[in-house]
Order: sequence, then C-alpha cells, then structure tokens
Amino acid sequence: MSYIVPIGPYHPALEEPVHARLYTEGEEIKDAEVFIGYNHRGIEKLAQQKNFIQTLVMVERVCGICSHSHAFAYAMALESIAKMNVPKRGQYIRVITAELERLHSHYLWLGIALHIIGHDSLFMHTWDDREAIMDILEEISGNRVNYGMVTIGGARRDISDETRKNVLEMLDKIEESMNRLTDILLSDKTVALRTQGVGVLTTEDAKRIGAVGPHARASNMAVDVRIDAPYSSYDDFEFKKVVYPTCDVFSRVVIRVLENYESIKIIRQALDMLPKGPINLGTRIPTIPAGEYMVRHEAPRGQLCYKVVTDGGENNKRVSIHVPTFKNAPTVPTMLRGNSIADAGLIIASIDPCFSCMDR
Amino acid sequence: MQEYRKISITKDEVVPVAEKMRAQGIPLAMIHAFLDENGKGNVSYEYEVGPAIESYTVEGENVLPTITHIYDLGAEWPEREIMELMDIRFEGCDTSKRLFMPDSMLDGQGQILVTPMDKLIKKVKGEEE
Repeated sequence: MSYIVPIGPYHPALEEPVHARLYTEGEEIKDAEVFIGYNHRGIEKLAQQKNFIQTLVMVERVCGICSHSHAFAYAMALESIAKMNVPKRGQYIRVITAELERLHSHYLWLGIALHIIGHDSLFMHTWDDREAIMDILEEISGNRVNYGMVTIGGARRDISDETRKNVLEMLDKIEESMNRLTDILLSDKTVALRTQGVGVLTTEDAKRIGAVGPHARASNMAVDVRIDAPYSSYDDFEFKKVVYPTCDVFSRVVIRVLENYESIKIIRQALDMLPKGPINLGTRIPTIPAGEYMVRHEAPRGQLCYKVVTDGGENNKRVSIHVPTFKNAPTVPTMLRGNSIADAGLIIASIDPCFSCMDR
Repeated sequence: MQEYRKISITKDEVVPVAEKMRAQGIPLAMIHAFLDENGKGNVSYEYEVGPAIESYTVEGENVLPTITHIYDLGAEWPEREIMELMDIRFEGCDTSKRLFMPDSMLDGQGQILVTPMDKLIKKVKGEEE
C-alpha cells in the first residue's frame, strides 16, 4: 500500500520547523521531498537598513547555537573589504570562542541523537557535560549563547588569566568524560543497531549534492574550511580533518565525537600561545569603503558563507547568508530512500539541521 | 585572509564556466544575487578554487540559464531561493513547487528584497488594496 506521510513542519522529532513529505510503500520510504522557510525572519532584508554594528548584533541572532560563527563571518567580510588587520590576540579569542561553540554544538547534537535513538541515560550524561562548556562560555562572554565576543576589527572582550586557567581545567574534565562517552558510543549495541547502515549518503552523492562540514566528512569527503582555506589564525594551530568512511548515521556520530578532540586541541594551543597586545582596533562604527567580499567559515555544522556588498555608505548594500544546512538539507531525500518510516526522524536529525539558520 | 576574485562574465558564459568547473571537480560554494538600483540582476557563481573563491558574476541580467543539470541540487536550491526572493529567473530550473516562501504570500516571483517594508507588512496582513 502506498502512503504519503507528512513529517512536520511541527513534529516531536524535530527541534525546529521543516516539512518533509515521505512517499512510502508500506513501511519503506520510496522518495521524499523537503520544504523550508517556516522560520524566515527577513534578516537579509533588515540588514540592508542597518549600519555595520547593528547588523553585527542582528546576524548573531540568526542562530542560537552557532551565533558566534555568524558574527565572526560577517566581521571577516567587512574587514576584508576594508583591508583591516585584526590584532592577533583578537583573532585568537575569536578562535577560542568558535571552538567552544563547536564543542557545545556537537554535544547538543549528540544528546539529541541519543534521545531519538532511545538511549536517554547517555543523552542526559552528554548534556550534563555540555553544561560545563556553557558555563565557561558564560564566564568568558557573560552569556550562554549570543556571546557578543566579536566586533569589527577584533574581539570585544579579553580573556583574563583566571578565565584562561578555568577553561583549561574545564577541558581536562570534559576530555576525561569524553573518553568514556566515546567508548560507549563506539561499542554500544543500541547505538549500533539504530545507526549503522541507516541513512546512507555515499561519497559520490555527497559530492554531487554539495554536502559540507561534519555531514560531508561523515561521507568520506575530506573538506574543512579551517584547513582548506585557513582564515583568522587557524593556520597557527595543529589539528586534523576527521573523516569517516561508512557514510551512515553512525559515521555522523563518530565524526562529531572525534571532532570534539580536535577542538580541544585547538583551544589548548590558542590559550598556550595567546599573544599579548590589543584585542581590537577600537569599537566605534567603522568606515567601510565600497566593495564586496565572500568569506567562508567552518561553523559547527559546516561551511558558512557570508557575501557582503557595500557602497561606501553607513549601511550594507546586500548581505547574503548561506548556512551549512542549506547545503546539507538537499541530501535528506537521498538518505531517506530505502529506509523505514521509523528511522526518518533520526535521518533528518543526522545532518544536525538548523532551520533557523537556514531560513534566516 | 581568504582570497576572493571577481570575474565578470556574460550570461552566455554561465553554462560553459559551470561545465569547466564541474569537469575539474571544483565545488560550487553558492550562487548569490542581488538587484541594483534599477532592478537589474547581479548574480555571482562562487566556486571554491583551492583556498580562493572565484566569483563569476553576471551583471545587468534578470534571466539566466540554469546550471542545475551540471551541479544538481547544489545549484537547484540556490536558484529556486533566488527566484523566490527577487526578480531573477533561471531558465530551465523547475519552479513547479515552492521551496522557501508560502504560496499565499506573494504573486508570481518573489519580491522580498525589493519591496518596501511598509508594503510587505500590508501584504502579509492582507491590507493591500
């Protein structure tokens, strides 16, 4: 018997609104379509009417999870147009915040995935660990999200010696519990049964559709903007691209677990080598000449693109924001085909979607 | 700093450039577009060439050929989004279904980025004459 099964836009398995239409034959998904736009807030339109500092504050609110990535990318686009040299200490602080953001984002996704899988005890342990990261972000910035750490030309807040020590202590604690988490995730039968061989996106399909970030790396694509097109101070640090070949939901779990170790490595190096000096070029509204630039930033979910066009005036002429979910969501129908309806929620969630980001 | 190179092309060069890039395995990072003061399109095809972005830009055109047959869904979503947000069309791109905007909000092609805010608010509230 053929059915059309709608999932969303509002559904218990979805953290944010999206609409997927599954075309099924009994329990098997034969085809699927995805529709977006339920969180559209007109941010690109609003950006045309705001000055650069107002826009910086606004784009940080595109997303509650990767808020720093948006501010980071927007500021980099303007700094590139204006040919500003951001002080090294400011660059390091931006990177530290970005990697802490990646850690808490990956932990968030792991928790959600475990909840959908049905492993609620591990979900709670994961989110308990995440709280330590949120606490340290609050200590650094004053906020759990929307940190306001970026200004055009550098960072807005410095990191004190005491905070530096607290971050390093937190990382030690997290790393220890992460070892335990990694062991369980890689050996647990429940996790394996729900994720291995489920929602496969082959390397060929990932390349054809243009997947990015951890989602692409879980399909054996060695792409990472931090290494392929280094920006800010990422080329000062040693870390590796994490790639896993099985192309299924399990692969996406493994990638995010292993990437946490790389983020910890980067933060430790940045704190060890934190240069002395100013953190920014001043906090007044900058003068930006006419120009255009597109920057790429490796946000927690993948490549984030900001294209900014200026005309020498106070406001943006155009700000175009494209987030990793915009590149990864088109892969969902391919991953769903041939799987059962029961796995649809987990497969959709496995791209770590952020529809708030995508709809902007 | 990541390098960004803008290269002006004509609409007739859009497909050959895409074919050349695809043949070399170069990813399409994104298609960006905006309208100038006269309502004319400015469409940039952003390719990831090593660490740099090469931005192949067509200016002054509001109708362009699709590259969905070359870059598949990686081009289809950006093209459909642009068509729904502003007065730019991609010939050959399937627009039979909405991707982004609800069917009820706008007539025909999207005009979000060029419609004044007060007019948009009236449209959403259904107060437009």
